Amino acid sequence: MAAEPIVQVRGVHKYFVRGDEQIDVLNDLSLDVPEGEFMALMGPSGSGKTTLLNLIAGLDQPSEGVIVVGDQIISDMNETELARWRTRHVGFVFQFYHLLPVLTAYENVELPLLLLPMSAAERRRQVYTAMELVRLTDRMSHRPGQLSGGQQQRVGIARAIVTDPTLIVADEPTGDLDSKSAEEILNLMTELSTALQKTIIMVTHDPRSAARATRILHLEKGKLVRESAVYSLHH
Amino acid sequence: MMHNLPVRLWLAIPVAVTLLVFLLLVLVGKVPLSYNIRNLTVRWRTTLLTSLAFTLVISLMIVMLAFVNGLYELTQQSAVPGNIVILSDGAFDESMSNLGNASSSSPIYFMTQEQREQLATDDEGNPLVSLEAYIVVAQPIIIDGKPNGRRRFLQLRGLSDPAMTAKVHNLKMHPGGKWYSEAGVQPIERTETGEPTSEQAIQAVVGEGIARELGKDHYHRALQVGDFFEARDRKWIVTGILHSAGSTFDSEVWAKMQIVGPFGKEQWTTCIARVKDKDHALEMAKELTKTVKEVQVQVQREIDYYDKLNTTNFQFLLATAVVTVIIGIGGVFGVMNTMFAAISQRSKDIGVMRILGYARRQILISFFLESLFIALVGGVLGCALGYMANGLTATSIVSGGGGGKSVVLKLVVDVNILTGGILFALFMGAAGGLIPALSAMRLRPLESLR
Amino acid sequence: MNPLVYKLEKLFYNPTAVVLMACSALALYLIFSNYKAVQFIIRSLKRNKLRTILTSLAILVLVLVVTAIWTILSKLDEITEEKSKDLKAMVTEKYGARSQMPYSYARGLADGGARKPSDVHPQDNMAWSFYIGSLEKGKFTRENFMFFFCMDPEKFPTMMDEVDTFSPTDLAILFESIKKMKADKKRIMVGKERLKLLNKRVGDRIKLFCQNYKDIDLEFEVCGTLPEGRYENSAVMNIDYLQDAIDGYARDHKGEKHPQADKALTFMFLKTEDRNSFERLAEQISTSSLFTNPAVKCDTASSGVASFLDAYRDLLWGMRWLLVPAILVTMALVISNAISISVRERRTEMAVLKVLGFSPSRILFLVLGEALFVGVLSGLISSGGLYLLINGLIGGIPFPIGWFGKFEIPLAAWWWGPAIGGGTAFAGSFFPAWSARTVKVSEVFSKIG
Repeated sequence: MAAEPIVQVRGVHKYFVRGDEQIDVLNDLSLDVPEGEFMALMGPSGSGKTTLLNLIAGLDQPSEGVIVVGDQIISDMNETELARWRTRHVGFVFQFYHLLPVLTAYENVELPLLLLPMSAAERRRQVYTAMELVRLTDRMSHRPGQLSGGQQQRVGIARAIVTDPTLIVADEPTGDLDSKSAEEILNLMTELSTALQKTIIMVTHDPRSAARATRILHLEKGKLVRESAVYSLHH
Repeated sequence: MMHNLPVRLWLAIPVAVTLLVFLLLVLVGKVPLSYNIRNLTVRWRTTLLTSLAFTLVISLMIVMLAFVNGLYELTQQSAVPGNIVILSDGAFDESMSNLGNASSSSPIYFMTQEQREQLATDDEGNPLVSLEAYIVVAQPIIIDGKPNGRRRFLQLRGLSDPAMTAKVHNLKMHPGGKWYSEAGVQPIERTETGEPTSEQAIQAVVGEGIARELGKDHYHRALQVGDFFEARDRKWIVTGILHSAGSTFDSEVWAKMQIVGPFGKEQWTTCIARVKDKDHALEMAKELTKTVKEVQVQVQREIDYYDKLNTTNFQFLLATAVVTVIIGIGGVFGVMNTMFAAISQRSKDIGVMRILGYARRQILISFFLESLFIALVGGVLGCALGYMANGLTATSIVSGGGGGKSVVLKLVVDVNILTGGILFALFMGAAGGLIPALSAMRLRPLESLR
Repeated sequence: MNPLVYKLEKLFYNPTAVVLMACSALALYLIFSNYKAVQFIIRSLKRNKLRTILTSLAILVLVLVVTAIWTILSKLDEITEEKSKDLKAMVTEKYGARSQMPYSYARGLADGGARKPSDVHPQDNMAWSFYIGSLEKGKFTRENFMFFFCMDPEKFPTMMDEVDTFSPTDLAILFESIKKMKADKKRIMVGKERLKLLNKRVGDRIKLFCQNYKDIDLEFEVCGTLPEGRYENSAVMNIDYLQDAIDGYARDHKGEKHPQADKALTFMFLKTEDRNSFERLAEQISTSSLFTNPAVKCDTASSGVASFLDAYRDLLWGMRWLLVPAILVTMALVISNAISISVRERRTEMAVLKVLGFSPSRILFLVLGEALFVGVLSGLISSGGLYLLINGLIGGIPFPIGWFGKFEIPLAAWWWGPAIGGGTAFAGSFFPAWSARTVKVSEVFSKIG
């Protein structure tokens, strides 16, 4: 019997209201994401891929429908519950890294752990583990201004995984990087997926980035139009 | 008023509440304080400019309150527990009092034997009683040896027994001085140009404050024993200087009643007596008010008498409060500007923290604490700057609604004022930081990252 | 006629007003002739309305305080300033802090103590005493007392201060009241505020129990009012009425003179033409044998006030040299902060302007212009608003020291505000504006993209 998917999306609608107009962004969307999958979301601008990502990450609520992550129906949670849930269960990787410029790499990675009941020693262990995974232990006391783009994104990834989340979501993680740095980041993400069995959902425009995923979903006008599995040397 | 009120309670409550709130905020707020402090140091120019505004407001407040505090301390220190003040009925203060002709008996002799036995005595067994005549004369102010057209109001106290008066008021003389003689005058012998003269100088004991004032006229330093000054077209010679700093007697000149009486009403204005049991002073005062019939008197404890002189002090305190609050509004708008700018520049940080799971209230607390830090830095610097006024002297008037008494006071910056300064700085920081912090709290994470 | 409307009508005869109007016209001309630059400045300020409003409010509040303080200080300076013409001499007891002279001195002093034909005579004179009474015997409170200037009522228009500021209506009431007071010595004029506080009206008869003359309790009839302003809390009675009562005391007390019979004259005011006449007058009076027991002194009225204020000199010094400068520096800091933040946020914009050909000086002036616009406008609204509000509503700032009544905000306040706001804006924004001027285009654009 197949394991329950880690993410279940059922009949999700999402619209925004601008004045008198209702703008539909997602239309009756359903999908499952098995645990440990590396999934890429692709589509033209305005297709709703970032909106879908935000809904799954608990950053927004659907207008209709149900979203289940793990064993939690996140679509029923209020804002406070979602915030608490996100800390433990979601790691977010941003296109522009969004590190806090006045904090060191260590402190940026430690930031989500401060919300959890942990001793300082435990936090230190977690941060070190995360930094070792991204191979940046020699830059822990550097501030973002002293790191390259690729290094900053690695810190961003370390921050995303330090709480050992259920799910990692990444919005164009290589969008602001040169090809070499982008390659490094994608290698890292593939490693997280294969070696650590992390479930990763990534939004991307770049087919080469998408090729690293095990499954690619294509969205257009808020609907799933195509799905493809990717077979590569990485799997 | 700083000392009349139960000070520790009056300030301790807001201090305790502030510390408690601060502790609570730090505990509840999960955003690391290092984030806020480092942002303040990165934007050090803005932080400094905002803090300096607080520094100025608080230092001004400290100086003004130190002035008022000095006035209160002055009147408080002048009062001796156990002393009762006898004035004529209806007189607001000594300047309006009239107890009778200088050659006639004093109210003390109208006391019953029982009442007299309740009076304290000195080492020689004499009752601690002082008869005094408060006289104010106009004296031309001299600058560089010439009158400048202006006058000061010189306060004289005509006495029969200055040593006893000093005991009653718990005053001592600086070493090297002595009380004036029985005659109250002494021959000058030679003028300034060296010519012989039969003129007699009035002997006087002066307070330290007036010694400084009068000394400016001719000597460009404070008067010392043996120095001369002029008033009422007479020469006066200093025979002693009172250890009077911090009391209303600091601005007074004491001389023999028979000599200076004619300059005023030639009548006693005041009688001060010390009651053996200071807790009994109030009863004694009420009793004497009723029983002394030969002269219409009002008797009160000296501490109550000086308390009434604080009417002007209260007006100054009120003016200080009003001016400080209005100027403080400038500081509040300044910190509001700074915090709104900070939030606008760090909207992405706020978005990231919200996405990571930080709750709205934690964002609110973080930015609120940041504005409190700015206020605290400014407040501490302001207190340090304001403290430099401690010990400086200034002139003013204390009045209970009557003529008023010119006094020289020392500005007193005490712990209460410094604490009040810090608290007011924090209050300004809170007032200016709350609205920006609320706006930070309401930022939508997704929108702030676009 | 509303006193404020009356005063505004007088503006055109006031040199300060004329200068202000000329400056305003010049300012308007400059604004319209540099319309584009002004438009740019206003749009830049509108980009962050919140910051502009907060900065303006801070300046507004602080200028308010400075204007109030300067009003008090400038008025005190004016009162204590030694004049060279139309001096008012004040004769008082030489040594006493409270001047108490016999009323018999009045006639001789009115003549300036002249003994020889060549001696100078005062142009005008006024004998003045005080009478303080309460409506209830044995009880003296703020709500039941009256403070009288005792004088010959006919002398009020010529010898009292600020009568030239009375509106025509108030002047008419004054002259009418004087006529009535001359007809009956018991009649009095009372300030409008005092009448309101005592709940009395013109026509009422009152009995007052005296506080400063033993057993001289008197009955009065209110025949007129004194207008809002300096005299609104005072009253005027006929000095002859007081003297008659003091002289009559002996009749009711078996020939025993009133204890203050020889102390009923407080001041004698004498008008002199100039400084030279004043000094001659002072010499005549101080050397006259008529005024030796007690001895008298003759000062200018302004030096008398200055002596009174001597006890407050440290307080006034603190206001002038500590409080006001600290407020000005605070204003400069607030503006400096706001402009610094603005310049920092708009570095790219500054760089773009430079690329487009704006010279560094132009950029400097644009930034300075923003600060000056906010400073001058906020200052004008603040001090001008204070002028209209305080003078129009309550007649001036109450000054609780001595006999000083209310201090009207002077017309000069209309330029104080813009000057303070503009001056502190310039001082506070100069360095941030310089920093904007020195923005390096290459540095800014190397960080973008």
